[in-house]
Amino acid sequence: MSTTFANRSAPVPVDELLNSRGAVQQAEGFVVACAISRDSSRMAFATGDGIVHVTPRRGQAEHWRRLEVHDGGALALAQDVTPQGFLTGGDDSRLCRIDADDAVHELSRGRRWVEHVATVVDGRTALIATAVGKQVELRDADGTLARTLDHDSTVSGVVFDARGKRIATSHYGGATLRFVNTKSDAPRVLAWKGSHIGIAMHPNGDALVTAMQENELHGWRLPDGHNMRMSGYPQKTQSFAFSRSGRWLATSGADVIVLWPFFGGGPMGKPPLELAGIQGVVCTRVAFHPQHDIVAAGFVDGTVLMADVATKKVLPVCGPHGGEGHAAVTALAYSPDGGCLAFGTEGGRMAVVDLTPK
Amino acid sequence: MSETRTAPPPGAATAPAPGPGLIPVTVLTGFLGAGKTTLLNHILTAEHGRKYAVVINEFGELGVDNDLVVDADEEVFEMNNGCICCTVRGDLIRILGSLMKRRGRFDGIIVETTGLADPAPVAQTFFVDEEVKARTRLDAVVTVVDALNLPARLADSREAQNQIAFADVIVLNKTDLVDEAGLAAVEARIRGINRYARIHRAQRGNVDVAAILDQGGFDLKRALEVAPDFLESDSHSHDDEVQSLSFELEAPVDAAKFQAWIGSVLQEQGQDILRSKGILSYKGENRRFAFQAVHMMADGDFVAPWSPDETRTSRLVFIGRNLNRPRLRRGFESCVAA
Repeated sequence: MSTTFANRSAPVPVDELLNSRGAVQQAEGFVVACAISRDSSRMAFATGDGIVHVTPRRGQAEHWRRLEVHDGGALALAQDVTPQGFLTGGDDSRLCRIDADDAVHELSRGRRWVEHVATVVDGRTALIATAVGKQVELRDADGTLARTLDHDSTVSGVVFDARGKRIATSHYGGATLRFVNTKSDAPRVLAWKGSHIGIAMHPNGDALVTAMQENELHGWRLPDGHNMRMSGYPQKTQSFAFSRSGRWLATSGADVIVLWPFFGGGPMGKPPLELAGIQGVVCTRVAFHPQHDIVAAGFVDGTVLMADVATKKVLPVCGPHGGEGHAAVTALAYSPDGGCLAFGTEGGRMAVVDLTPK
Repeated sequence: MSETRTAPPPGAATAPAPGPGLIPVTVLTGFLGAGKTTLLNHILTAEHGRKYAVVINEFGELGVDNDLVVDADEEVFEMNNGCICCTVRGDLIRILGSLMKRRGRFDGIIVETTGLADPAPVAQTFFVDEEVKARTRLDAVVTVVDALNLPARLADSREAQNQIAFADVIVLNKTDLVDEAGLAAVEARIRGINRYARIHRAQRGNVDVAAILDQGGFDLKRALEVAPDFLESDSHSHDDEVQSLSFELEAPVDAAKFQAWIGSVLQEQGQDILRSKGILSYKGENRRFAFQAVHMMADGDFVAPWSPDETRTSRLVFIGRNLNRPRLRRGFESCVAA
């Protein structure tokens, strides 16, 4: 009987990174989002039952706080414009701020679900945008409503450019791009038939990409409005992100991490790069490192890994975890300093992994 | 070059298979004033030991306290897949997605539509969206009709006909306002449009909740469980544009021929065929093949085996407009196995 190399090699210690450098806590509810504060010191996890769990970066179990923020479900969570705070939106139609001392402040209360929250800080600019039904509410750093942006259908995604000069939204029939600081509402409507369910902007502000109901992505090159289609996914893309370099767009929705090249004329006419595939296991979340071309990905079976785009080297963070229907990674974020990765799952697993040299 | 389609990533992954534990969704339709809200309140307050999340339309109001009430704008979206009658409820995809993030808080979901709503986009949402399909199942379309005003509604509204055509269950409300002869006439009218819906008479929505919930109207295993009037003869008047036609075959059906034929029928006439259902006896197959479709969207699978002493009759029902009975019958007959 022959022995193959594979048989002799030791099993890959897939959970080693999480076991040696991770802190794991269990929430009762479905983790809908996680976020890390602007100063990279605090992590927050929001759940489908309206609870937000907050911990300092290297917090022990006793440092985790459980905050009852929303009456109903939490729908959105984002880092605040303040260094240590978070913003949350819920189906109780409230926008809330969690401050550095874990106190919860209601910034607004309306009549529609607060489904998306985006923030931007650049120099003296600090803005908060929320998607509330068919409107986007644009607020100052203190939460004062500055402008309301109307749309013909429910807003499914909202994003600022890196400088906070422009704001883009996705919705039925396309995307809309507006300048933030203008009295006249002169939106640039980028039309594409179908239902658009999320949006990302290229870090240089050169392109907008939306995910679509039809298991594909659509993009617009912003200078000339040229259309880009990125298709072939077996499932909807729920999560997608550009690398800081702007060279790559990482996407979920296939059983590999699908990365579209945004250089050398791409993505038009270029095949996507595929990394770290797990046969038959769909990627559910992606996040790019804030500086390097390193992508983190979460999968439907609970696996989390990181991959270096240039070398295609894969570093496992943790292997499958949780039963079927409870395992999927549903939230994933790098800290702004790149030293920390946080993720959450459908089954309520919340984890923070320290990536800094020991 | 205005647009470019780039190569798809190979290696298609499998979608999550629908399993047990899917949350049942009941769609409640009916014209304004028919008694939808009354029925909804009745369902929510009845003693059944279950909790329901309720999605109401923006004009709706709920008379009782319920923990989970969601206000919805009915956003009907066309799918960008080249199929013109393929519309879905975009708001419902979002709302069901959020509700499923706190499953365990409720046992079922009830979706109320506005009076003028076409039930097709709601039903099609459950065929089209993978995540909705993976976590929920459309249990039944329940249509509330007003016994007194139904004839007038049918005369002036295409939507009223669609709502009856789509229904698995029809609650014939306000029966105290109409005499027995009038009720019989209204029921005959309903039967002419939709032959397999269960009809329950009610006053002020006081119908047995068990007759409304857990109907399995879109469950292949229960397709054509109710076949009260399965004669090919059609004794009903053709007052209404929408009618139901049913066909039976005693001889075994050729699976490939049937698939090809039904596919082309739905492709060509799917806009006019609102719903169709069938149970087929395929040649050389011991199990029933169940089939159903909403417009062009079809679904089919093998279900329970035939019993040894049972007559293996293949049955097919179409509900729709402009149905050509002889042509459909000839087509169905041409599927008989050689």
